[in-house]
Amino acid sequence: MAAGDTALWLHNKLGSTDDLWSGKTICSQLSQDKLQNIHSCFHTLQPHVKAKLMLSFLHIPRRNVDLWKSQLEEILMAAIHDTDQWVSMVGEILRTYPATGALNLELEDNNGTFAEVLSDLKKLVKRSVDLKMLPMECQFLNKTALVATTGQQPQPTKHFALKRKPKSATLRAELLQKSSEVAMNKKRN
Amino acid sequence: IKLISDAGYQGEITSVSTACHQIEVFSRVLRTSITTFLEGGMDVMEKNLPEFTKMVCHGEHTYLYSQVMMTILAQEQKGGSNIRRICQELQKCANERGLDVTPITLALSGAAAYPRACQALSSMLSKKALNPADITVLYKMYSDNQYPPPPVDLIRVPAFLDLLIESLFKMNTRLNPEHKSKYIYLLSYAASVTEVYKKGVRKQIEKKELKPTTQALEKVQTLCAQNKNASELLVDVSTLFQCIKFPVIAIGVLAWVDEILSDKSYFKLNTDHTPLHLVLVDEIVTNHLLLHQKALDLLIRLFENSFDELDVLVRLELKKTVLDRMVHVFSCGCVLPVVNYIRECHNKQDTDISLIRHFVSEVLDVIAPPYTQEFVNLFLPLIENDGITGTLRSEDGNDYVSEFICHCKANFVTT
Repeated sequence: MAAGDTALWLHNKLGSTDDLWSGKTICSQLSQDKLQNIHSCFHTLQPHVKAKLMLSFLHIPRRNVDLWKSQLEEILMAAIHDTDQWVSMVGEILRTYPATGALNLELEDNNGTFAEVLSDLKKLVKRSVDLKMLPMECQFLNKTALVATTGQQPQPTKHFALKRKPKSATLRAELLQKSSEVAMNKKRN
Repeated sequence: IKLISDAGYQGEITSVSTACHQIEVFSRVLRTSITTFLEGGMDVMEKNLPEFTKMVCHGEHTYLYSQVMMTILAQEQKGGSNIRRICQELQKCANERGLDVTPITLALSGAAAYPRACQALSSMLSKKALNPADITVLYKMYSDNQYPPPPVDLIRVPAFLDLLIESLFKMNTRLNPEHKSKYIYLLSYAASVTEVYKKGVRKQIEKKELKPTTQALEKVQTLCAQNKNASELLVDVSTLFQCIKFPVIAIGVLAWVDEILSDKSYFKLNTDHTPLHLVLVDEIVTNHLLLHQKALDLLIRLFENSFDELDVLVRLELKKTVLDRMVHVFSCGCVLPVVNYIRECHNKQDTDISLIRHFVSEVLDVIAPPYTQEFVNLFLPLIENDGITGTLRSEDGNDYVSEFICHCKANFVTT
């Protein structure tokens, strides 16, 4: 397929701006050759097509990523130097992905706004220690594991004193009583 | 738009596609949202989450960018766990919208260093279903004595833990007995193992609690899977109470109880005043602060159930029993969410007033000063409402209702 045809194919597949999650639809049709063609026509593509194309890389089976590593990296390098800021940012984030399977988190030097927003938010995060919005997995953890991950939990605010236990306490006692009676009877029989 | 953004009016940029067009504008809108969450906490986040999700999930690139930004922030020693929660809420919402975000989640989780574990997890998370082959891969890696296991964080993925709970505690999932112990092992491992890191290097893996957790989980899972009725289970109550002390088991039991109670015939056939399964919910609430909301959600679902098949009076009695559970949750420290819910019920006017009265009178029966202003603000309007508490008052003012009102008037600024 010539470079022009490849560009047209990509446009047909990824050109829609209504669905910006459709990158993965092209995964099954990618190959080493196709990626080489894509690299040649990359500069002619529309920015959102470029971004979707790169995001499709995340959905390629790992085995193929290993095989196509250098082609994928070539495309990402072209993207990093793109004039569209979204394209270059996505390229930058994915830079390490073909080689390591992990995303690049060293982005501060490449984008001023990213660095500015990140540093503002970092200050805010440090001040939010007492907020205690716990990660969801915390409910599953034994006490020791919980303390090891997030530190001691604060006691809830005491909104009142309890002058007596609610009815539930009596019920609990009754249930345990019944339970032990049943256990005794079972033993006897 | 960029000019509006440069001038600092992020709040004015409401159209999603406008905000997402330029990376600078998007970044600042993102900053505004995260700032609001960090300043307002869970309640504010829950309220704004739909709008936030809509913006972040505009495209896969905006989602990727936001998650990368937040992953960096989540690494902060102090306060980072708050951001981790936002990341997770976002993942969950994206998932619910049918978006496949698993590759991004895993690429950001550090799983890449363990390609086999990563592949096994990714296949299960993408399909939202567990399978014996992938479970076996993970089990082997985490139980291997020769090679060091992957970090425990890798399997501490909420969606994965939920799937394990579901497989072990829901009736409709038929678990192959041959593989069951692997599911139990992985869940126990995730719940109990701690790791010590120094400068990013894992120095120690502490597995002291792994065995007791696994044993207790096995015991309770077997009990739950036997499909015994309440009277058959009576003899096992103390075992259940013991084992429920492990949070992961409490979550499993909640899921199991939830399913049993949602069976229409349950309350029709049950003759106990308070069924055993509801007492188990009480016990979970007593033991686990972090599960209060989950338990309350279950009780709310139950309370709002129509119970058409029951006689009106029986239905009211049953709802009172459920309210008693809410009073229990309330007495254990989950105060504002419970009172808020009852107020909502009253405002919507779809709840029988005698039920609201029952709740209020049970609460007045157990509480004593000192109260907080927040609590008084929420609770006093219910107490002052004549429709609710009129019949609870006596002429001489010697009753809990009058006493509460008197106390509040004397000690609080009431509006």
